[in-house]
Amino acid sequence: MRKKVAISINKIVKEYVLHHQKPTFFGTIFGIEDRKKFNALKKVSLKIYKGEKVGIIGSNGSGKTTLLKITAGITSQTSGTIKTTGKVVSLIELGAGFHQELTGRENIFLNGLVIGMDKEEIHKKFDSIVEFSGLGDFINSPLYTYSSGMGLRLGFSIAVHSNPDILILDEEIAVGDEKFREKAMNKINQFSKEGKTIILVSHWLDYIKTNCNRIVWLEKGKIKADGKKEVIEIYRDFIKKNSKSNSGHYV
Amino acid sequence: MNKRKKLQHWIDFTITLTEREIKSRYKHAVFGFLWMVLNPLLQMFIIGMVFQFFIRFEIENYFEFLFSGLLIWNFFSLSFSKSTPIFVNERHLIKKAFFPKESLVISVVLSNLFHLLIGFLLFILITMNFSLNLFWIFPGLFLLSFFTIGISLLFSSLNVKYRDINFIVQAMLSLWFYATPIVYSLDMIPESFRFLIYLNPLSFIVEIMRFALSNYPMTDVFVKLGLNLLVSLIVFILGFIVFRNESKNFDDWM
Repeated sequence: MRKKVAISINKIVKEYVLHHQKPTFFGTIFGIEDRKKFNALKKVSLKIYKGEKVGIIGSNGSGKTTLLKITAGITSQTSGTIKTTGKVVSLIELGAGFHQELTGRENIFLNGLVIGMDKEEIHKKFDSIVEFSGLGDFINSPLYTYSSGMGLRLGFSIAVHSNPDILILDEEIAVGDEKFREKAMNKINQFSKEGKTIILVSHWLDYIKTNCNRIVWLEKGKIKADGKKEVIEIYRDFIKKNSKSNSGHYV
Repeated sequence: MNKRKKLQHWIDFTITLTEREIKSRYKHAVFGFLWMVLNPLLQMFIIGMVFQFFIRFEIENYFEFLFSGLLIWNFFSLSFSKSTPIFVNERHLIKKAFFPKESLVISVVLSNLFHLLIGFLLFILITMNFSLNLFWIFPGLFLLSFFTIGISLLFSSLNVKYRDINFIVQAMLSLWFYATPIVYSLDMIPESFRFLIYLNPLSFIVEIMRFALSNYPMTDVFVKLGLNLLVSLIVFILGFIVFRNESKNFDDWM
């Protein structure tokens, strides 16, 4: 059976301009601000197939988030191409798009629209979203009355109801009580069974190890390794060595 | 998503944002609506006093003349100054999801349009002037919104990369107020300069709205309309291009 490509990333480069304070117009025309450039991704190529559960690992600043932001369309690459098939929903910074002043109900509509559902679809799934989130009567209260766990639960519930083909997650999904975590995991496993593509970013290596069938290790904007569970061990060795050589400097 | 579905989503999203914009203005102030009308009323009385009793302008029904001008000006300046920093203010959305960002600007303009319409309705009910000229309101409102969206898109996109644009806009607005025939009428300007005033698209709009609402005389309607369209179109296209090029990387500058 030929596998269908869900995400095809071809030689992507992402260049950022480093700015220390807020950039200004006058500062730029008078050349007061120096704008150093920095490449977060250096010609990364990667093919992810439909139905894969990919874990992306790497130290801070390795380019994980940038790669996922480009995949989700939040920012665009400086050069290279990317093609995604189907709807991408990112669960990173879950619920960050919520408005504190609006009620849970109003936020469901706003957030649902932001992640690409239309009104009719939200109306249809509204009860199911509320039920899954387990918020009950809180749904009519403004968001500032919610605990952070409640906000996350609502965000997760909306996102999984948007029927994504590609789901991007991070370890934040493990936040919340035991019961909800289990519910969330079940949902993700169900997605996986339905043949949806799942991408997980995490520093929690054991979690990635048990939950992903493919692991990609990014380091300084390049792919260092791409394979199965053995990648985790290579990465662990690398970290150990690195921390040793680093600590050497301080001794 | 196919095209029709995409359009439906865009419309739903823009309307929801507009509703949020309108609601949020009233949520904290019970007399929210009153404030909307009270502001131009107060402005009208203060400016009206100055130019009626201290410096005498020979304009018929000066307070009425002033009020229609102020309604339009408030629409423009509120929309423009609220839109300019909007991408920075809504960074929590922009950093998180991919969505039609122009809707943020359009919703600000539409919510102010809603208030302007109520203002006009009250104006007509008070002056009881129902002439055929009233129909000019519609092309006038269209042109006004078109220009406001264009210029707001331009400056809000620039403001992401250059944060002092917001201050430049504030300064521009206070000058712009006097470059628009709101407190004075156009025939007080020497003929040779009038052409310059019409390069400002708001001049034509204020004039046509006064023609529509209060039957103030107006000449060369179509020449001025043509010039207005031309300037608005240039601004809009410029705004659209800058927005299209910059918006895909807004996240990098947040």
